[in-house]
Amino acid sequence: MGRTVPTYRQALEERLKRWDEFARLLTTPEERAAFETLRLGARRYVAQATYVGSPDLLESILLSVLLDLARRLPVDAAARPARR
Amino acid sequence: MAGSPPPDAWLLDITESPDGRSVVLWTKERTTARVRRTAVEFRPPFFVAGTRSDLDDLLPRLVGRSTVERVRRVVLRPSLFDHRPRTVLEVTPSRNSARRTLARSVDELGGFVRYSLFDVDLSPPQLYHLGHGLFPFAPVVGRGAAIRATEPAETVDYVPPPLRVARLAVTLEGPHRGHLPPKEGRIVAVRLGDATLEGPEEDLLRALIGELARSDPDVLLTEGGDSVDLPWLYRRAAAVGLGPGEFALGREPVAFRPARAARSFETYGRVLFRAATYPLPGRFHLDRENSFLFDDADLAGLIDAARLSRLSLSTVARQSPGTCFTAMEMAEALRRGLHVPWKKNRPESFRRADRLVAADRGGVIFVPPVGVFGPVDEFDFASLFPHIMVRKNLSAETLECRCCPESPLRAPGLGYRSCTREVGVIPRTLEPLLVRRLAYKAAAKDPTLPAEERARLTGRVKMLKWILVTAFGYQGYRNARFGRIECHEAINAYARALIADLVPAAEAAGYRVVHGIVDSLWLAPADPAHPPDPEAFARQVTERTDLPLGYEGRYRWIVFLPAVTHGLGVPNRYYGLYENGEFKLRGVGGRRHDTTGLARRFEGEMLDLFRAAHGPEEFRALLPRALRRADGFAEQVRAGAWPVDELVISHRIGQASDAFVTFTDSVAALRQLETAGASRQPGEVVRYVVLDRASRSYRERVRPEELLEGTERYDPDAYLELLAREAETLLAPFGVERDGLLERWGYGGRRERDPYRSPETVQQSVLDEAATAGGRF
Repeated sequence: MGRTVPTYRQALEERLKRWDEFARLLTTPEERAAFETLRLGARRYVAQATYVGSPDLLESILLSVLLDLARRLPVDAAARPARR
Repeated sequence: MAGSPPPDAWLLDITESPDGRSVVLWTKERTTARVRRTAVEFRPPFFVAGTRSDLDDLLPRLVGRSTVERVRRVVLRPSLFDHRPRTVLEVTPSRNSARRTLARSVDELGGFVRYSLFDVDLSPPQLYHLGHGLFPFAPVVGRGAAIRATEPAETVDYVPPPLRVARLAVTLEGPHRGHLPPKEGRIVAVRLGDATLEGPEEDLLRALIGELARSDPDVLLTEGGDSVDLPWLYRRAAAVGLGPGEFALGREPVAFRPARAARSFETYGRVLFRAATYPLPGRFHLDRENSFLFDDADLAGLIDAARLSRLSLSTVARQSPGTCFTAMEMAEALRRGLHVPWKKNRPESFRRADRLVAADRGGVIFVPPVGVFGPVDEFDFASLFPHIMVRKNLSAETLECRCCPESPLRAPGLGYRSCTREVGVIPRTLEPLLVRRLAYKAAAKDPTLPAEERARLTGRVKMLKWILVTAFGYQGYRNARFGRIECHEAINAYARALIADLVPAAEAAGYRVVHGIVDSLWLAPADPAHPPDPEAFARQVTERTDLPLGYEGRYRWIVFLPAVTHGLGVPNRYYGLYENGEFKLRGVGGRRHDTTGLARRFEGEMLDLFRAAHGPEEFRALLPRALRRADGFAEQVRAGAWPVDELVISHRIGQASDAFVTFTDSVAALRQLETAGASRQPGEVVRYVVLDRASRSYRERVRPEELLEGTERYDPDAYLELLAREAETLLAPFGVERDGLLERWGYGGRRERDPYRSPETVQQSVLDEAATAGGRF
């Protein structure tokens, strides 16, 4: 309704459609499952990415995906930062 | 009411007189309860602004026109953005009805760009109210044109006038209401209040006029009056030879045609339908089916909105809350000696694309975790956006003002400044509404009040809530009179920053954030054995932010639901049980209007079962029983034993029935309705039961609700699917999915469609069937 710019959610979905093309040529179930993980990671942090409002769509998507992967890594207790 | 003397009368309404030169004041005397009609000459001018030479050019072209009574130069400050008064033309039309036509031709003379017009679409009654300190339902002293209101419109604690309300319902010959009305026919009975009138049609219609004169109701209440009762009354009155002079349903004669034709329109991606409206001067007709607000806010809420907006009760009932809010802004602008621009002529300033990306964002909406959680405390900011507009002085004219370059009020991340010297039109309009809503909300909680008074207060609270909600939306709406997109962006920016600040605050208080949507937060105690004091947290945030955070309650458990497409949580689909035993449901079946009785019953049984759970563990323990209950439902549906009236599916029509390309269930229903003489417009709803969804015959595929006999055999597979979808919606977080359920229930699967048969073949087979069935058709 009268929006000039698509929302981050819309832009993300648009970009993910392009990623689907990439996935079509994946040949193993493991690769496809891993790809699905990336897509979910991108969608998990829409609130945070919207909050930043970066003009660089890919920056926001990659940040989301990386965080989603990083949170699965074992955290070194010494490196755990205090919040803010 | 404390202090003020009892009024002589109440001003019910101001209407436009058919002579085009005056308005009519309708007052109801306190002692006699009689309604008096006073016509007052009133032809308000509108204003034209432009450069001096453009105005010099226009003036001689208007003088002497038959539609123009008078043109003169006056000096005033037309718009919010004029810092100094300037010379404008004041144009008085010869007849009030010529107002818009004249304004349009002035606009055209300026090539649609040279002139800005003001006050064009304020109606003469609205301008009369504003110019004379009056408002609908004002208690007044004095008589005729010399009346004076005894209190301001904004008074919070007021006594509404004693209105006589009567229900009106027309009964047509033949099949009853709820079924299809005949194409032609007669009125056999009319109910007005307690009286039921019957007899030969002409006598009946005359008796109705007699009864209206006798009981003299102020408000006629109908269910579908705009689409059925009034058009039928007028049609039949004309058919038996009664004219407007003899057959007036209002308090003065009026033509038998609608003031506004029926129309279908699109809003927010949905096609809606609004029936024609028939004005009844001096009397109000409220049609529950044609009034979104009346349905939700009740008469008390409408009266409150009419007082504040200076719009007639008939208008308030049929328009959106946004129209009321706009009218309130207009009233505020006029109160300041300003005028109301006709077409908003303030384009967005050009901005760099990256700035636009930064600015054009909504509020914070988290992706909630999927599953059952508890205990969880819910907090909501009350009227967050209106409060931000008031606290931060956000209004079209206060944003980036010239007077306060150092203003500390800056939208986070965007930097838009707001004025610190003058309160804007929007905050000024909103503040009394916020105060009012809080006052009524608090008063409605008083248990010593009579139920009727409490209902009245609740109606006002709901009405105000709707108006406050639209106030924000209108900031970003192109046609909004005082809207400005930058305001909309600034409000969102403040709201986003607020939620971001609350995340660490909640953690410091001993919570962790489970979910958040714009102005609501769901927080789980970090240590469930020692939950923080939610009221104290809410108070602390309210004090710190100067925005009212309310504690909604503690959930024993709450289930956040996933999207079918990707499995992550959907922000506004959840259901949960508060500690006080109440459920809150969002985005699940029972909340939707198109839900079948079957789905509603299923959801009810599921919730009844889960009501026993005191927390997530107990909830999960109940899942096997929930599945067994679902199986029980499926068994009955499959056996064909479910009553068909609980299987009615509703569908809002998006386009004209001849525009459909594919043959769907609704097309089948629409065709049958059309054959039976009832066409539906886009935006109206069609209701039907699926009989055989594989059938190519529109008669065999579905049966419209209006033609249901109750003995039909429905398509069990169609309803098993519906049931499975419903069960999946509620239980998806626990691994329940549709296909698994259908398999478990021995679902027949989607059958191949019957071979296509041309309409002629279908017609022939129908005839054949009728012949063998002994003329059942």
